[in-house]
Amino acid sequence: MNKALQSFWETMLGVWGRSALATRQIFNKVFTSSAHLSVALLVVVLLIFLVPMIRRGSTAVVFRGTNEFRELQWDLHTRGDPDDVQAETRQVEALRATFYERIDHFKRGIDINARVDEARQIYRRYGEELDQKDVTGQDKQTLRSRCRTVRNQFVEALEQTDADAALEMLDRVLAYRSDPDFRGTVVEEYFRQALDYKDIVTSIDLSRREKYAGPLEEVQNALVLLFGPRPDEPLPALTQNRYGATRWDMAQRNLHTIVYATEWVSQEEGQPLIKKEVRRDQSESQFKGTTLESWFGDLEANVEAMLKPRWTLYWQYFIDDSTPGHYFGGVGPEIIGTLLLTLLAMAFAVPLGVVSAAYLVECAGDNVVVKIIRTSVNTLAGVPSIVFGLFGLAFYILYLFPKIGLPSQKCILSASLTLAVLVLPVIIRASEEAIKSVPQTYKEASLALGAGRFRTFVTVTLPAALPGILTGIILSVSRAAGETAPIMFTGAAALGPIPESITEPTRALSYGGYDLAVGDRLAMLVPHKQYGMVMTLITLILLLNIIAIYIRSRMAKKLRGY
Amino acid sequence: MKKVVLVAMVAAVVFPAVGLSQQALQLDGSTTVGPIGDAFAEAFMRKYPDLKITVNKTGSGDGAAALVDNRCDIAMMSRFMKENEFRSAVINSVWPMAHVIAMDGVCVIVHPSNPVTALTTEQIRSIYTGKITNWKNVGGADMPIVIISRDTSSGTYETFHGLVMNKEKMAANTEYVPGNPQAHARVKTTAGAIGYVGLGFLDVSVKALTVDGVKPNKQTIAKGKYPVSRPLFLFTNGYPKLGSIVHEYCTFYLSEEGQEIIEAKGFVPLTNY
Repeated sequence: MNKALQSFWETMLGVWGRSALATRQIFNKVFTSSAHLSVALLVVVLLIFLVPMIRRGSTAVVFRGTNEFRELQWDLHTRGDPDDVQAETRQVEALRATFYERIDHFKRGIDINARVDEARQIYRRYGEELDQKDVTGQDKQTLRSRCRTVRNQFVEALEQTDADAALEMLDRVLAYRSDPDFRGTVVEEYFRQALDYKDIVTSIDLSRREKYAGPLEEVQNALVLLFGPRPDEPLPALTQNRYGATRWDMAQRNLHTIVYATEWVSQEEGQPLIKKEVRRDQSESQFKGTTLESWFGDLEANVEAMLKPRWTLYWQYFIDDSTPGHYFGGVGPEIIGTLLLTLLAMAFAVPLGVVSAAYLVECAGDNVVVKIIRTSVNTLAGVPSIVFGLFGLAFYILYLFPKIGLPSQKCILSASLTLAVLVLPVIIRASEEAIKSVPQTYKEASLALGAGRFRTFVTVTLPAALPGILTGIILSVSRAAGETAPIMFTGAAALGPIPESITEPTRALSYGGYDLAVGDRLAMLVPHKQYGMVMTLITLILLLNIIAIYIRSRMAKKLRGY
Repeated sequence: MKKVVLVAMVAAVVFPAVGLSQQALQLDGSTTVGPIGDAFAEAFMRKYPDLKITVNKTGSGDGAAALVDNRCDIAMMSRFMKENEFRSAVINSVWPMAHVIAMDGVCVIVHPSNPVTALTTEQIRSIYTGKITNWKNVGGADMPIVIISRDTSSGTYETFHGLVMNKEKMAANTEYVPGNPQAHARVKTTAGAIGYVGLGFLDVSVKALTVDGVKPNKQTIAKGKYPVSRPLFLFTNGYPKLGSIVHEYCTFYLSEEGQEIIEAKGFVPLTNY
């Protein structure tokens, strides 16, 4: 009976054993393939995340710069050859002048109010002129009233929407041309304008004057963004308005706004409108059939010659200061600020963290207090970063600094101290694990040779644990460099000079990115600056990590002894 | 040798450089007024190359708090000081003084494909409180309304909440976004969306609605005809000492250059040169 049972079990186990082998192999395969899959997935995610960021970010550095960009570089940083820049500016301005001329000509037929005002001005100036010539009394009265007739007829001509009627009125105005009284006076301006307007009347549908005004304004606004302010205009107060499109991609966007009009047309009652993009020179509702019709095609054909785009490597992006709002310029001060904050935070956090870890592992026993401390450290690691920011503001800036005689204001010191508190748990945990993993035999050997506990720790345990500690540091460097919330209230400024001491606030890459994203409408116009800033931050963190990893690998090599 | 260099580097960083006699100007506050603060700063830096101007943009409330704590010279605010802010200021012997530097309109925007062009404040309130949930109820297409609002801590929200909502609670399905650009981007890409942004954020990719029969533009906002207009403030501790840099900064909006800057930043100036 027993034997039978035994053989039964043996058979069963044999079957199971064989099948277990097969199952194990399947499990192994599943495991390795899922491991491969997850690595592949990680790589894919990284690529999805990093590639567009780097690609878009690099447009802040590598792009086709126009002559406006070279002008800006000369004006702001005295880079480039002044003679070349000037020659180029003259060249493009000569080309642009004809386009300005043509659009102005058209505008004179549209913007009637301005012209009516001007006509009134001329009449007033005529009165002053007569005073200067000492024409008084009855003579003055008659001359002025005659001038008024001319003016009124001219204004009437301007206000006419029927071309024939307007032409008739203009002819009446021009009839006064032969009048000897008006010769050599300001009144001749009316005749000059009347002739000019006659030309316009024949080429513009006056009845649609009102309809041209809107699109014309759109075109003119986009033209300012494309070519900058006109050379004869006063220089705008802000640097951002002093130049046209400095980049070819922006130029093309503005050109598109000039050439194409977006219209939203109703298809059916109660249905959403449909977007329609029409060329302004081919649409009746825009400029078809006007003197401006050929302007758009010509502009398109010549815009490259008027902006002279050239591939540019703007490596100074990483050292240049920016104009307020980051419209032009680079991220130099932000890089300095981020580096300062991060390194200073590390300088505070690393010694403190390593010493605490050493205490927790080496000295403290395993009692309730230590457990509480450990739990607290772990909890601290999970506290949201904004809480640290507010803590930094309340503790360092409002409480501590006034007590120790420092100015109670945002500064690098308080920001880096806050960041230090933020990364402390990570460093403590990593250091603790690293110190724990140093083999007991190392310490015992050292102690056996007569070294004290402190000496053993400094000369044996710590060097052996350093690679592990460095891992913690690497993790926290990235965290400290990238955090926005803790420094927002404690030391970051949206705009400010490069700090001269650690009691001043600084700009930082992370906060700069935030500022660009939420504040100014400028960010909508210069997305490449936003991408550029993010790319710079990522690259900076990568660089810091590479340096730390290099140091770690050298240390590990030294420890292994070969 | 290495150590000496290291110590020197640390010392250079830690000890403040000489030359602290430089004048400094600190601004803190609203993200809406911030761009004006930046741009004024640019003009001032050109005028006074030695002046150190720092601009922080963390929100109107933080600006008020910083002024109360004497942490800044000028607080930029897109709303007036609240009662408790005023009280704590006075307790700290800070006497807040408001300078209105520009006007801004909170424009209600929809996707350009939306056939609706005008709403009344009552209609907007009904939409935001969730009483109206479809565009067809206000004369539009049969499309559910997606409600976009600024976060509740922003001054823009407070203006809208006070002037349009009459302090009524917003619907539970309201989507809160952290900034004007985000509200703009959200409405631009969502056919049924309604949102609100500052005047400077209007462009062709969104459509501003006529509110109570008034179109938002520089004229209607300057005159206060547009119902959701608001002044933008700089707050100082008392009236700044005449001739001081703070005084010049707070009155810069009166100059021609100041007006040009305010216009360039998309706000409505109070002056008319």
